[in-house]
Amino acid sequence: MDNSIKRKLKAIFRGIEISTEKNGRLVISVPMDSTGDVLKSLKDQGYIHLALISCVDWIDKEKLELVYILSSYSENDHIILKTNIPRKKLDFRTVIDIFENAEPYEREIHELFGIDFKGHPRQIPLFLERDYEIPPFRKDFDTRKYVKEYFDEIPFVKEDK
Amino acid sequence: MRELELFFGPQHLGMVGNFSITLKVEGDRIIQATANPGYLHRGFEKLMEYRTWIQNFPLVCRINVVEPDHMEMVYSMAVEKLAGIEVPERAHHIRSIYLELARVGSHLFGLWAYANMLGFDTVAQWAMYHRDLILDLFEELTGGRVYHIYIWPGGVRRDFPRGFEDRMVSTLHSIGKCVPDYDATFFNNRLFYERAKDIGKITQAEAIKMGGVGQVIRATGLKSDIRKIEPYAAYQKVDFEVPIREDGDAYSRVWVIRDEMIESVHMIFKLLDNLPKGEVYNRIPNPFKWTIPPGDAYVRVESSRGELGLYLVSDGGDKPYRVHFRTPSYTHGLVILEKLLKNASIADVGNIMISLYVVAPEIDR
Repeated sequence: MDNSIKRKLKAIFRGIEISTEKNGRLVISVPMDSTGDVLKSLKDQGYIHLALISCVDWIDKEKLELVYILSSYSENDHIILKTNIPRKKLDFRTVIDIFENAEPYEREIHELFGIDFKGHPRQIPLFLERDYEIPPFRKDFDTRKYVKEYFDEIPFVKEDK
Repeated sequence: MRELELFFGPQHLGMVGNFSITLKVEGDRIIQATANPGYLHRGFEKLMEYRTWIQNFPLVCRINVVEPDHMEMVYSMAVEKLAGIEVPERAHHIRSIYLELARVGSHLFGLWAYANMLGFDTVAQWAMYHRDLILDLFEELTGGRVYHIYIWPGGVRRDFPRGFEDRMVSTLHSIGKCVPDYDATFFNNRLFYERAKDIGKITQAEAIKMGGVGQVIRATGLKSDIRKIEPYAAYQKVDFEVPIREDGDAYSRVWVIRDEMIESVHMIFKLLDNLPKGEVYNRIPNPFKWTIPPGDAYVRVESSRGELGLYLVSDGGDKPYRVHFRTPSYTHGLVILEKLLKNASIADVGNIMISLYVVAPEIDR
């Protein structure tokens, strides 16, 4: 399966890198602009199930990496599609028009990593109750320091005797 | 008629778990439903970046209270894949037996919630009692009732104790003897049919479009099961059926759950018959100094609710660089639930939610 998909994608899209793992799994790196088109093309080729959208903060390389994991309901393979977003300008497009279940994933990434998904209908908080200066799942957010600042100040209750 | 806003949960009799839904209603009809997760958000994935590979085991199992075992499994599989650790044959078999036992326990818990919600209190109590018998087995095997931390990179922590297999078989037989009772009181009961038929109906095309997995997709007639598609542990060595139903409603989903339990018990018997001898774990390097080469992996297992995945990234250090769990309740509870509640009546909210088998801690992570 992978060879035909590989050839097809290479022919259509520019700047795309495809590597095959030992077990035949495809890992595709695409530039930001063509992510939507590549996802659409993969969906047409049978990868109809979006399992996960994840985000990794590569702080040393000054970029956030979005990871799309696609699979089908019957085949033993899945595709990992990656794209990099510069940390300075965190704008990206939504993929809800392609995969409907992308909605909560993008909402979560917006909240925890601060990526702005253009065209997303409701980028409102999903889990968190406070406002954070740095989105909390980024690598420069120090959980321990935050906990110390926010929760260590609460004084102990003194019992009246 | 006037439009009203109704807060369903987290403190509500019809709500199981820490989860809430805001309903916009007109009379008894729901116009719009908004799911609000976050009551249990503890930032596990971030916390795991601060702990070593082995220290994370007590954390991962707490992500899903009902069924911690598949969480351990998926994390172990990802670590094994990144570190290139082999698992002995006997450990594969024990893992499968253990996971199927967990599936039965989890389904019984789901049955408890569902029967309780419909007012079948007796059936609910039976299901809870039978789940407790399975927890007894887990206690004997692992020392813990709810959280077990039994699966380990390289195998399982210890072999079956002496006589454990016989006790497991007799427990499963005693539960199996009650299946006719369950059927007569609940599954073949007219009340259950009337209450669940055509409730929360979803077509196969819609379920696929919205990323449904597990019972949700199998109740629409699609035979999709990770244990068959991408076999892990010892599932390629054992012959089993994937139960399906056609209608895609709450009735079908609960029937799929029932059939799966029976199939799981049969699978345990088959696996016990062919249990190979040998070691149950391969030694891993010193856990305090263990580093894993850089790379990323996505692994998936079929938990009792559907595809449970883990995207794990290592940067070569002694701690994970990024952990992201793909939990089945996430899409079921946040996308499909909102869709199915539209135009439903208020009385069916619990019915639809529990038949989708939404477990709140799994969503929040």
